[in-house]
Amino acid sequence: MRTRFAVVVGLVWLLAAVTASAHHSFAAEFDDKKPVKLTGTITKVEWANPHVWFYLDVKDETGKVTNWGMEMGGPNGLLRAGWTRNSMKAGDVVTVDGFRARSGKNLGNATAVILASTGQRLFAASSQGQ
Amino acid sequence: MKKRTLTRDMNVAFAAAVTLVALVGTAEAQWLKLPTPGIPRLPDGRPNLNAPAPRTADGKPDLSGIWRTPTGKYLYNLAADGVEVVMQPWAEQLYRERLENNGRDRPSAACLPHSVTDFDTHATPRKIIQTPGVLVMLFEAYHSYRQIAIDGRALPSEPEPAWFGYSVGRWEGDTLVVDTIGNHEKTWLDDSGHPHSDALHIIERFRRSAFGRMEVQITIDDPKAYVKPWTVSFGWELMPDTELLDWVCENNKYFDVIPK
Repeated sequence: MRTRFAVVVGLVWLLAAVTASAHHSFAAEFDDKKPVKLTGTITKVEWANPHVWFYLDVKDETGKVTNWGMEMGGPNGLLRAGWTRNSMKAGDVVTVDGFRARSGKNLGNATAVILASTGQRLFAASSQGQ
Repeated sequence: MKKRTLTRDMNVAFAAAVTLVALVGTAEAQWLKLPTPGIPRLPDGRPNLNAPAPRTADGKPDLSGIWRTPTGKYLYNLAADGVEVVMQPWAEQLYRERLENNGRDRPSAACLPHSVTDFDTHATPRKIIQTPGVLVMLFEAYHSYRQIAIDGRALPSEPEPAWFGYSVGRWEGDTLVVDTIGNHEKTWLDDSGHPHSDALHIIERFRRSAFGRMEVQITIDDPKAYVKPWTVSFGWELMPDTELLDWVCENNKYFDVIPK
């Protein structure tokens, strides 16, 4: 019981640590009324401040492939939450939850990433909620 | 009795060794986890954050350490707790514009650093290094820093506007009271865009109430922008057994993403 509490406290600590580093206004860039869920293959990961960006090829039902760019929090929050620059690599298949960019381009902000190979859910340190 | 003490000491030593191995074992190139020397520890090796605050050789409270703000709400809105903030008309109009355009012109979005109050409330760690004459804050975010003179000097009379202003601190009992003036008008008090004028005088009060806890109070005194001074209080938590990480604004795609 005590362990469980400690784990919960630890998670809350980590979430608080990674969500609140405001670089830009979330609302200026993304629309929290437009959730998006994508499954595809990672083509590139940019592991850098102020935000990690990753790109994935998403195939629609007709077979057409579209490349999407997704923003996460910064590497420092992700490192403190247990990620490394190798947690997600080009070629990995992932499912991403997030929100679309207001511009309407194929861009978004990721709130969670699930690795298809392991089912592991990687918190994305979204820049939302600032 | 002797045997019991020995057993307890061995337990403490074992726990400390386990903690050390755990910390060192996961250490990586960026020193994300490493034991901070000089931290009081519990019998199981964890930092004792409730221990008394440390003091410097001259008996002053030592505020040194790596600190984090546990909530992002004051960064977004310094007045989040509902303090009465009465703005002068121009300030109210500017604040409303910033709210209506979702704070798209926030300085940090252009990779400019935060400033005094929005770094006090920022979740990214700051490291305090206290010496007898100056207290230095190293901000992980934006690879930035701030100096607070505690050598008795006076504030400048005609300050050239500065992103972090000019800060002098003095001790009132165990509280470090910091006066800051000369803040550049381009800076925002928080991420929602509370504005200020060139008359801004920030009064910060820092009191280390325990080894792992800092009480922080900010007063905004800016008669050109606000009808009366307003004050907010919150806390910082010590981040033991870690180190600041690199943070340079090298991958900013904000202007590629926002609607034109």
